[in-house]
Amino acid sequence: MTAASQKPQLSLDARLGLDRYEIDAEQSHIAVDHDKCKTCTTRPCLVCCPAIVYRWTDERVAVAYENCLECGTCQIACDHGGRGAITWHIPAGGFGIAFRYG
Amino acid sequence: MERFDVIVVGAGPAGATAGRALAQAGLNVLVVERAATPGAKNVSGGLLYSRAVAEVYPEFWKHAPIERAIAAHQIVMLGEHTSTALDFRSAQAATPPFNAFSVLRAKLDPWLATQAEEAGASLISGVNVDALLVENGRVVGIQAGPDQIGADVVVVAEGTAGLLLKQAGLRGPHNPHDVSLGVKEVIALPPDVIEERFQCDAETGAAYTLVGSTGGVEGGGFIYTNKASLSVGVVVKIDSLYASGRHPHEILDAFKAHPLVQRLVRGGEVVEYSAQTVHRGGFHLATQLVGDGYVVAGSAARLLVNNVLTLRGMDFAITSAVEAAQAILQARFAGSYTAATLGNYVERLKATSIYQDWRTFKDAYGLMENPRLFSLYPDLAGEVLERLLTADTKPGSKALGALSEALKGKASWLTLSQDMLQIARGMVL
Amino acid sequence: MNIVALVKYSRDVTEIKVDPATSELRTAGVPERVGLIDKNVVEAAVRLKEATGAGLKVIALAPATARDSFKDVLAMGVDEVVLIEDPFDGEAEAGIVVRLLEAAIRKLDPVDVVLCGFASDDGYSFQVGPRLAERLRRPLLAYARGITPEGGGLRVEQNLDDRMQTVTAPLPALVSIDEEAFPPRRTTLMDALKAKKKPVNVWGIETELGLSRADLESSARIADTRLTGVVVRRQQRVLKGQDLGAMADELIDALEQAGVLKGAA
Repeated sequence: MTAASQKPQLSLDARLGLDRYEIDAEQSHIAVDHDKCKTCTTRPCLVCCPAIVYRWTDERVAVAYENCLECGTCQIACDHGGRGAITWHIPAGGFGIAFRYG
Repeated sequence: MERFDVIVVGAGPAGATAGRALAQAGLNVLVVERAATPGAKNVSGGLLYSRAVAEVYPEFWKHAPIERAIAAHQIVMLGEHTSTALDFRSAQAATPPFNAFSVLRAKLDPWLATQAEEAGASLISGVNVDALLVENGRVVGIQAGPDQIGADVVVVAEGTAGLLLKQAGLRGPHNPHDVSLGVKEVIALPPDVIEERFQCDAETGAAYTLVGSTGGVEGGGFIYTNKASLSVGVVVKIDSLYASGRHPHEILDAFKAHPLVQRLVRGGEVVEYSAQTVHRGGFHLATQLVGDGYVVAGSAARLLVNNVLTLRGMDFAITSAVEAAQAILQARFAGSYTAATLGNYVERLKATSIYQDWRTFKDAYGLMENPRLFSLYPDLAGEVLERLLTADTKPGSKALGALSEALKGKASWLTLSQDMLQIARGMVL
Repeated sequence: MNIVALVKYSRDVTEIKVDPATSELRTAGVPERVGLIDKNVVEAAVRLKEATGAGLKVIALAPATARDSFKDVLAMGVDEVVLIEDPFDGEAEAGIVVRLLEAAIRKLDPVDVVLCGFASDDGYSFQVGPRLAERLRRPLLAYARGITPEGGGLRVEQNLDDRMQTVTAPLPALVSIDEEAFPPRRTTLMDALKAKKKPVNVWGIETELGLSRADLESSARIADTRLTGVVVRRQQRVLKGQDLGAMADELIDALEQAGVLKGAA
C-alpha cells in the first residue's frame, strides 16, 4: 500500500461535523462553577471529554456545550479527579446529539 | 394528577422490554424517552448476544434490524509493531439460534420501542424526566417539566449516565475507576469489501477484541462488522484516561493507525463519531435494584458482564427488564409495591444464567486493572513470536529462551507467574 | 373561526450532502420530517387559535407511513391532521401541489384563515402561497411576522426586507409566515399524551379529493432535471492570536482589508 492511498485521520472538528445535533440555542445543559475551577490543579475535564467541550481560555473554562456527545464522562471525572465544579444535565427534551447509527 | 400503573423511564433495551412485558399483561404503561427518537442517544460498543434475547423476542433476527451474525471472533494482542491473534470461527454461530449480532442502536432501539407500543404501552419520545417524585421515602411518580405523573411503580431504565437515581439519593456517584469511556467511529465500507476483508458472507460477520490498543491506558479496542460499515472504537477507564493526559480521540487515532487496524478500515469513510460511558461490570458495584415504588433495570443498575472477551450489556438489560416486569406483576397481585414485595425481582434475577455468569467472572474485574495486561504482554507476545519466527543470522533459542530474552528488564519471572495466575483466576479456573 | 395550517413533510435539508465531484445533491436516504419553517407556521396557527378560540387543522402532503411524524405538531395544539397521501413522493411541481391543497381546503369548508410557510424547507420555490391564494380567490398576506385578529379580519405585520408594513384584510384570507418569525414552542409530557388521542386522517387524492392522478400529471408544466449545489469558496483564515483580544484585533484587521468594515480604527 502506498502512502498516498492512506487517508489522513480526520480532525476532531471534522469528526464532530459529521454528527447530527439539534442545538438548543436557548440554554446550555452544562453548568460550571468557575470559582472552583480556579483552584483546580488537575482539570480532568480538559483531557477526558471526547469532544473537547472544555477548553482553558482566558483564565477560565470555556464550554462548547453544543458539541457535547452526552457521554457523561466530564461529570464523573470532575466529581472525583477535579473540584466538583461541573453540573451536567441532560439537554432539554429532544435536543442535543442525535446519532444516526449509534 | 394523571396516573399510570407503571411509568418506565428510558426506551432502550431495558425500558422497551419492561414496557412491552407489562403492557402485554394488561397494565396501563407509560414509557418516556428523552431522545426525539429511541436510540438516537445510544451507542453500542458491544454485541447483542442472542440466546437470552430470543427467549423474550422469539426469532428476533427475522424481524429486528440487526446487522450481522457474528461467526468469527478475533482476540488480538497488539504490540507496537506486532499483532498476535487467536482466530475463532464457528459455523454453529452462523445458524439459528446464533450466538451474537452486531447492532446499531439508532436502528435497533426504535424496533424495540415499537414492540412495546404494539403491546399497548404509551411511548412518549423527546421528553425529559426531570426527577422522581418521592413521598415519605417512596417513589410515587415522575416530574417532567411542569407535569407530575403518578404510578404504582417506576421502572428506572435511564442508562449508564442517568442522573435520576443519583438526584433522588438512590445511588451514589459513579467512580471513574469503575466506569469506562468508549469512543467509536462508524466507518462506511461496501458490503462486498467487508465480506472479502473479514472472510464472511452476506449475513455473517466478525468481531475483534483488541488488547494493547490503547497506548498503556487501561482499556481495549473493538472492531465489529455491520452490514455496510464497521464499528471501530476504544474503551478506556476514566481515571486511567485523565491520568494519561491524552485526549480520547487521540487514543482512537493511535489505535486506528496500528498497521493491523489500518488494513481493516482502509478506504472506509467515517460517517459518525460517538461516545458513551460504560460500567466496567464489577459484580460488587451493582446499585440497589429495588426500593419502595421503584425498580432499576439495565445499565442504570450497572448490570454488565465483562470478562475481557465478552461484554454483555444489552442482553443483560433485556433479561433484567423481564424479571423486573414479572416481579411487578407479582407485587400487583399482592396489592403492594414496597421494597419487600418488589424484592422478588432480585431473587428472580439471581436465578438467571447471565447473573450467575456475572458472579463467575467477578475476578476478571481485578484482572483488567493489571497495567501489564495493556502494555507489556501484548508486546511480549509479539516479541516472543518474532524471535521464534524470524530466521536471524544469530543463533535462536526455544520458546522459553525467547520469552526470557523478551522479558529482560521488563518484568521478573515471579511477576509473570503471578499475573498468569491472576489471568487464570479471572478467566480460566 | 376555522384555521388551516399547511405543512410540508419535507427532506431534512441539514442531512443533504453535496457530491464533491459533481456538485449534485445526494438526496437518497435523506430522512423526511416536518421542517422548521413549517413548525413556525404551526406555532403561528396555534397562537391565533389561542387568541380566537378557533378550530385548527393541519393539512400535510406526505406518505401515509408518515402518520407518526405529526405527533409534535399535534402536541403543539393542533386539533387534527389531514394527511393527503402524496402520490408524487414529494416531487410534484408547485402547480400540482396547489391543486391538491385547494381541493383539501375546499373540502374542509368553511376555512377562514389558511396559514402556510413563505417557502418550503426543501423545495424553496416560494410559489405555493401566492398561487394557492389566487386559486382560492383570497387576499395573500405574505411574510407575516405578527398576526392579530381585528374587527372580524386580520391585522398582519409583513416583513418587506427593507421595511415592515402593517396591513389589514377581511376573512377569508391566506397568510404566509416569514422565516423564524414564530419559533415553535417546547411541548410538555401532557401535551404529548393529549396528542396521542388526536386524529391523523389519511385522505387519498382520488377517494377523498375527487382528483385524478393522470389529470394532475398531465397538468405539470415544469420538470426538474438536475439539482446541483452552488459552491461558495470561502477564504478560511485561522486566527492565530494568543488570546481572545488579539484574535479580535486580527479579525477586525482582516475584515478591514477585505473591505467589509470601514473606519473601524
